[in-house]
Amino acid sequence: MSARGFWSRFLLPGGVWLALLFVVPLCLLLALSFGYTDDLGRAVYAFDFDNYKDAFDPLYIPVLLRSIGFAVATAAICLLLGYPIAYYIARYGGKRKHLLIALLVIPFFVNYLVRTYAWVALLADDGLVNSGLESLGLTESGIQLINTPYAVIGGLVYGYLVFMILPIYASLERMDPSIVEAGKDLFATPFRTFLHVTLPQTKQGILAGCVLVFLPAVGDFVSAQLLGGPDTYMIGNLIQDQFFTANNWPFGSALTVVMMIFLSFWMIGYLRSSAREARQSVPA
Amino acid sequence: MNQAFDRPRFLRVYSWGVYLFLFIPIGVVVLFSFNSVKSLQNFDGFSLQWYEEFLDDPTLRESLFVSLEIAVLTMVCATILGTALAIGLVRARTRWSPAANVLMLIPLVTPEIVAGISALIIFSQLGIQLSFLTIVIAHITFSISYVTVVVRGRLASMGDEVEQAAMDLGATRWQSVRLVLLPELWPAIVAAGLLTFALSFDDFVLSFFTTGEDVQPLPVRIWSAIRFGVSPTINAIGTLMMAVSLTAVAAAVLIPRFFGRKESGIKVLTGQEGG
Repeated sequence: MSARGFWSRFLLPGGVWLALLFVVPLCLLLALSFGYTDDLGRAVYAFDFDNYKDAFDPLYIPVLLRSIGFAVATAAICLLLGYPIAYYIARYGGKRKHLLIALLVIPFFVNYLVRTYAWVALLADDGLVNSGLESLGLTESGIQLINTPYAVIGGLVYGYLVFMILPIYASLERMDPSIVEAGKDLFATPFRTFLHVTLPQTKQGILAGCVLVFLPAVGDFVSAQLLGGPDTYMIGNLIQDQFFTANNWPFGSALTVVMMIFLSFWMIGYLRSSAREARQSVPA
Repeated sequence: MNQAFDRPRFLRVYSWGVYLFLFIPIGVVVLFSFNSVKSLQNFDGFSLQWYEEFLDDPTLRESLFVSLEIAVLTMVCATILGTALAIGLVRARTRWSPAANVLMLIPLVTPEIVAGISALIIFSQLGIQLSFLTIVIAHITFSISYVTVVVRGRLASMGDEVEQAAMDLGATRWQSVRLVLLPELWPAIVAAGLLTFALSFDDFVLSFFTTGEDVQPLPVRIWSAIRFGVSPTINAIGTLMMAVSLTAVAAAVLIPRFFGRKESGIKVLTGQEGG
């Protein structure tokens, strides 16, 4: 048996599994999005674009825009919070680098629901933050924290921050420190060195981080459901409703396809850059 | 000015601020799980009553065991499938390899809600009743890629000289895989498996879409409980889940060290060995 034939067999079980249980279902989702619901509430396959027309109904446009807006805000805040800490650990972490990174990762292995629940308990009208403010005499009746867009975005940031920090940290670690020295030797100010040397060198990490935060944030429905109200409804909530409450699977599928098409632009960019990295790391 | 930039106090304070932001909410959940009164604002004294309430409830207890069973089954199946896939991707150079490489990465960048919905659609299309089994299948599908990325990272940094030597000495290909390749990969495989366990145990979205009428896993139970309002029992469940998944993650970091590969564990978690 040839070496190639031997090693190819290893691809088979996992490849077939992913093809049958990941690719085929995605195709079914696409097919169903052109279908409709009959009088008995059953999903029927067909070929018309009504669901897509409905998806861009003025009723739903704000939901789509809001989801994108929330996800962009989330990625931006994650970048602002994440870049300095990644920079701090990569440059000044010293021997404690691994410990500091482990401390960042630990919270993300706490169940996402439990973490969101923690914010519900903190931000509720009679929650810890409000009762703390009241006992300090800062407010009398408490401030509205939960059921606001800020709470939802905060929940998303808390949920996905690590996906921003790790790729940036990895790109800072890969950077050759001598080029920063070179910048200094050329009498650049630290800020200019950062702007013209460090920042461009870590562009790849920033982009990867933004995509990795943006993708799950757009599809999230947990944060908006638990920390938000009717005004913070996101596309994830709308999709989930179609499958569980409204029982309109074809429309839910069409919304999912619309979301995926929008996201695929980012996904393809990310996949291409990581495929390039994989090629570089695999000895040919 | 250079001095100020080289030892930036601001950066340090900022970083500790981020750490506080990350840990305070979790600390609050843990603290109030031990509260002796049913309050989430005033800590009145230490008690284990919410844990007792959780473990005395037969359906919640069953949910805990179901979650553990799902995580173990997912870990075993996804680790086997993902490891084989990683070996195939690195060693086989066929015209299918590039396609398989992309196929393998797609689940990692697909929002979970999409994976959940497509799983729901195919199960209903095939007429499979949603159950324990459908949850496990959905979890495996989503976990294979994680295992593959971790194992592939380790594999890519190894050569195949030792295997070639084994074959020159008369070993068959299978023997060289079993006696040389797998032992070398073992730390990465163990770490990937434990990571998968933690991911599956914590998963909510996939379980939510594929759970049936029978016993639901813990995160799905938490979801329905939260919608009735906050309660210290949820804190107790959350704290216990935290303990389980952090144990798995700690093991994923520490076990590779017993194999004498100091670097492996933490790099697996930070993705430095990944793709």
